Amino acid sequence: MRFWKKIAKRRRLERDLEDELRFHLEMSGRARFGNPARIAESCREVWSFTTLESWWRDFRYGARTLAKNPGVTAVAVIALAIGIGANAAVFTVVKAAFSFDGGVEKPERLVLLQPGDALRDAAFAQLFFDPRELRAQVRSVRQIAAFSMASMNVSGSAGLPERYFGAIVSPNTFEVMERRPALGRGFTEQDLAAPVVVLSDRAWRELCGADPGVIGKNMRVDDVLRTIVGVMPPGIMFPENADVWIPLNPATAQRLPLIFGRLADGATLATARTEIDGVVRRILNPAPQGPLIEVEPLLEIYGVYASRPLFVLQMVAVGFVLLIACANVANLQLARAAVRAREISIRMAIGAGRARVIRQLLIENVVLAIAGGLFGWLTALGGLRWMDRLTLQQGRPPWVTLAMDAHVLLFLGAVTLGTGILFGLAPALRLARVDVHRAVKDGGAAAAGGARGRRLSSALVIFEMALCVVLLAGAGLMIRSSLHVYGMDTGVNSSNVLTVHINLPQAKYPRPDDEILFHRLLQARLASLPGVESVALASALPTWGYGIFGVDCQFEDATHAVVQGLLTGADYFRVMQAEVLHGRIFSDSDRDAIVVNGIFAARYFPGGDPVGKHIRIGDSWRTVSGIVPDIQQSISPQRTPLVYIPYAADPRREMFIAARTRVPPSSLAAAFRSEVQKLDSNLPLYDVRTLENRIATNRLEVGAIGMIFTVFAAIALALASVGLYAVSAHSVSQRTREIGIRMAMGGAPAKILRLIFVQGLRQIALGLALGLPASMALGRALRGALVGVSPFDPLTLLGVVAILAVAGALGCAIPARRALRVDPVEALRCE
Amino acid sequence: MGELVQGTLEMLVLKTLRRGKMHGWGIAQHIQQTSEDVLRVEEGSLYPALHRMELAGLLDSEWGVSENNRRAKFYKLTALGRKQLPKEAEHWTRLARAIARVMETA
Repeated sequence: MRFWKKIAKRRRLERDLEDELRFHLEMSGRARFGNPARIAESCREVWSFTTLESWWRDFRYGARTLAKNPGVTAVAVIALAIGIGANAAVFTVVKAAFSFDGGVEKPERLVLLQPGDALRDAAFAQLFFDPRELRAQVRSVRQIAAFSMASMNVSGSAGLPERYFGAIVSPNTFEVMERRPALGRGFTEQDLAAPVVVLSDRAWRELCGADPGVIGKNMRVDDVLRTIVGVMPPGIMFPENADVWIPLNPATAQRLPLIFGRLADGATLATARTEIDGVVRRILNPAPQGPLIEVEPLLEIYGVYASRPLFVLQMVAVGFVLLIACANVANLQLARAAVRAREISIRMAIGAGRARVIRQLLIENVVLAIAGGLFGWLTALGGLRWMDRLTLQQGRPPWVTLAMDAHVLLFLGAVTLGTGILFGLAPALRLARVDVHRAVKDGGAAAAGGARGRRLSSALVIFEMALCVVLLAGAGLMIRSSLHVYGMDTGVNSSNVLTVHINLPQAKYPRPDDEILFHRLLQARLASLPGVESVALASALPTWGYGIFGVDCQFEDATHAVVQGLLTGADYFRVMQAEVLHGRIFSDSDRDAIVVNGIFAARYFPGGDPVGKHIRIGDSWRTVSGIVPDIQQSISPQRTPLVYIPYAADPRREMFIAARTRVPPSSLAAAFRSEVQKLDSNLPLYDVRTLENRIATNRLEVGAIGMIFTVFAAIALALASVGLYAVSAHSVSQRTREIGIRMAMGGAPAKILRLIFVQGLRQIALGLALGLPASMALGRALRGALVGVSPFDPLTLLGVVAILAVAGALGCAIPARRALRVDPVEALRCE
Repeated sequence: MGELVQGTLEMLVLKTLRRGKMHGWGIAQHIQQTSEDVLRVEEGSLYPALHRMELAGLLDSEWGVSENNRRAKFYKLTALGRKQLPKEAEHWTRLARAIARVMETA
């Protein structure tokens, strides 16, 4: 800002100087006065603005020079805008994804305590349903607390039930969070069995109209009337997106909660591990051998943290795009060096220092970068809108907001200046080394080009090509993964299936029979709706995951296998149109029959027939009644052995209901809602979606990464091809005379073509040689996201080579055509 | 004044301004008259020097009205300028003596 003050003051100083000199002039009479302009100039120099002003002058000069070459400038600005814009957009996404804290103080100090391999779940449950014993003994983790996540049906003052994510938390959870409620209080040990509730700021606004006198009022949560005791400040949604907190009572808890706590000052993960292991060993005495307990950072349970490497890869990919853009602009500037050489030489001949010339050229490039940065900002806004839509479809966590904040703008500014210097430095140094004598004499053409300049240009193109290879390979792997994911046969007919997710509150449906009754009534009501063909319950839906993890199956020969399982109603396979392959499906009243899928039969009964065989699951032996086709429960095409257990054998509160319809399924959503309301007016029906939509969303997980990579790779390829084209074209234009002579001497067009293509293809080959090994490293890093394709997939790498060859050939073809059209007479005359 | 040793003009300006505040024209006139027309101060040297000294904090300036009722910029010594004068004078004396010795021995 001092600069602008000086500039402002400058006007006054200028006026004063004029007045002062005029006074002297009047006193002395003109004859005795020197050149007023020169005196004024000498005085100005004294003011020491000259340095500042010369920067400004360089800035304006740079802008003018760029404006004089609108074509070249536009190409450079577009390349930079894409590069800088994509970086800003991805940086925004990555920052948003990494910025999660759930509204908790120092979330990185929170640790999760989980049972180790040596501790059976039951023993763990004994110890951990109620963490108070641990809390009393462990020192390295202060305030050991517990939570389980749950979705809750909440009825606000408006009366209609709404679905909220909530958490059942031990009373000290708010202390571990180190955040105090904005209104009222948190929970105390006296609240364990009390019907109380704490609301998030959002729930308080939505359900209570932000009423400040809400403390002490009642609210229905999962059919229990609870008293509101506190409201948390905005932004607090621990553990992930909770809006409602109710106290966890270890005495009546149904599910094992997650145990977590905050590392004490000075404690580390390692010291906590050692100490807790000792404490648990003392409590359990005698303790089993092997790891009893795992202590991990709590942040690890969040999906976003698990996919951190993917975000970093995106950042790398988009960084490559920017590097390519920079290399391109550097090449454009190098090409223009030939034209500039004369101008620079003259400036140097009349006394401009090299440093001054370099500075001026760098400033010119920074001006270019700033233009690129401004357009890049607009590009980023557009890109973010696209990613916003994409991630929203993908079920983005509610705390992720894709908005450019001050940090992003700072990043954008830094990247802009950095790129300006990065791509400006090579051409500037090159031009500043120009041979003044020769350049002025020869009119510049020879001076700046030269073998060294061409080598630098072609090195830049090779560099671009190598980066491009890496991005293309990444995109190729992800596209192949997407093809696998999208081309995979799910094993079901997903069209015309409507699905809903229902979670029955424990208070109203305390016994399994209540759940069975409700589900049976609802199923009957839905099945009688016009347009509905069949209705079935299921604990999981195709591509959604598994309903039951780790079903331990004991076979008749006493061998064991642990497989995944689903609880389903009898009509599930009819709804999914997966016809039984062999045997029959269990009926709804059947509790002891199970159905297995094809891969289960093939793996555990090779060459035999499992139908009629007995498998022990848990405590009871069950009979295999039939074999069904493989239905994909994950997005990976890998086939997994599955057992289907009748719903009645193990009823659950939380189930999916799937219905095959004769009409477009979404048209029945309203009818489904009203049927549920007729049965239980407090039960909200949420997550009503077609099966097709669910499968598409699940596939998008892989598809989105593929799409983003493909976009980056496409941009990179376009930029690199333009770069290759520019260098070839420039080389042709510089060699016009040589080509003319060759043609005049009777050189065959084929030979001239070869001249051009060999140069271009050499650059591509070198780019491949550098890029292919690097792309293998990228493939390894991407492995977690790949589906059904090896990180070194030869087909992908071959594809990359082919694409690059075609793009390279196109990049050379246009200049080559121009070379063939060179008129020898013209070419020789133009010198 | 072009032939004067560098820094001498500044000394003369400091000495002149010991008499009180003065505008540029006045300073030039005073030096010229006092030196009996031997030292003629060129505007091209005087004004840059004045501005330089002002920036260095040796002089202060203010706008005032001249003897013929014109708006003029008056310069005066600052405390720093006052301290600077003896140093410049001593430097000058040493220089003058040195020159004299060279001339005598030759």
